[in-house]
Amino acid sequence: MIGVTRAFAASIRRSIVAVALAGTVVGGCASGDTGAAEVWDPLETPNRFIFSINRAVDLIALRPLAVMYRDLVPERAQTGVRNVLDNLGEPVTAINEVFQGDPNRAATTMARFLVNSTIGVAGIFDVASSFGLERTKEDFGKTIGLWAGVEPENGGFYLMLPAYGPSNARDGTGLMMDYLVDPFRILTFNLAIDWDVWQIGRYGMNAVDYRSRTIFALDDLEKNSVDYYAALRSAYTQNRADQIREKREKTNARSELERRDNLALVR
Amino acid sequence: MPNLASRRVVFQLVAAAAMVVAVPAVGPAIASDPAQLVQSTAQQVIEIVKTKTGADRQAAILGVLQSRFDMPAMARAALGTHWNTATEQERARFLKAVATAEAKAYSERFGQYGGQTLTIGKVTPRNGATIVDSRLNQTSGPPIKLEWEVRGDRITDVKVEGVSMVMTRRSDFNSYIQSHGGKVEPLVSELEARAAR
Repeated sequence: MIGVTRAFAASIRRSIVAVALAGTVVGGCASGDTGAAEVWDPLETPNRFIFSINRAVDLIALRPLAVMYRDLVPERAQTGVRNVLDNLGEPVTAINEVFQGDPNRAATTMARFLVNSTIGVAGIFDVASSFGLERTKEDFGKTIGLWAGVEPENGGFYLMLPAYGPSNARDGTGLMMDYLVDPFRILTFNLAIDWDVWQIGRYGMNAVDYRSRTIFALDDLEKNSVDYYAALRSAYTQNRADQIREKREKTNARSELERRDNLALVR
Repeated sequence: MPNLASRRVVFQLVAAAAMVVAVPAVGPAIASDPAQLVQSTAQQVIEIVKTKTGADRQAAILGVLQSRFDMPAMARAALGTHWNTATEQERARFLKAVATAEAKAYSERFGQYGGQTLTIGKVTPRNGATIVDSRLNQTSGPPIKLEWEVRGDRITDVKVEGVSMVMTRRSDFNSYIQSHGGKVEPLVSELEARAAR
């Protein structure tokens, strides 16, 4: 009983921190609207320090693991693992789609989740896609970016997170929000069934899977830049901005009409 | 918001005016269809990747970069405000080093690709340039989103999944210059050393 109360208190405390951080993001966005020019990086020195540690860990542990995973594990097994991990992420995507003002899309995502969790054997097979329910991936960083009313290149201050990698105030807050609302985290936490084992296993697999898919792009960026940190900072910011811009264009009524016009022309 | 919207309208008008002025200057002899330019460039590169390797390939890619891309403008944009502080000689060395570095990067990058096709999508005018959307279809995995910026009869930027080549280089170079006393010379030397490797 005491344990549950304490966990609940801890959960509330974390939420308060998140809300406080979200507040600073919105404030930060309003003042430092630098648009597409250079990424705002007031924490550059500590960020570079964390980046060097991340790179060392990546070099001796994560990258070799990801290379082995990519080259040694059969492709079908990799697809299965990715499907399971993606499936576990669907509820968070659905919650974000509700916050993005798209309940229909959220319903589709939940339908995907239900179909894949049952017929797709705990998410191993993505049968929902063959039913025409296409996969989307949303996170709270994108949700904030959608409503923030600033250039999507401006995500507040740039932030190099330990182990996780490049982020910024917006996406870091988003990451925390996603973590807080994740039903699987709450479920395993409340049932207290080897909570840490399940979570570490899941996040660990996610990290290896994601790293294995970014080997080529990151190697390329590192090899062809004179300042890898700055090149990655720029590439990360642009890539996220592109995702948010795509989101905005989709929800923008006028561009939606234009899209339909184009479709009508094609037909 | 209304302020922004009107500014955009003004900008579009200016861009439209610029295009009216620019189009006759290009002349009918040059293929001025941006989609066509992107398609033929991609075709040329695929052909090179299929038939050439090593130094031959790098030379051929350099040829494509120089004939299809506006390399001087891209290099200049990548250097940003530092272009103004650079000497004439540094600029010339910089242009040469950047062209070599890009040719090398591209020939190695495509070396690891294979059996891929480019599908041209929507063509939209934006800020005085033309944006050509395309998808690079891979043999496995989802297609990669490529956006080409075309001005006149040359390609001036390529965006891969929203990441602009010129913008990324610009941040990269700018940061290097700032950590080396705000001078262009160390960057040029570094690029030359890399090109020689």
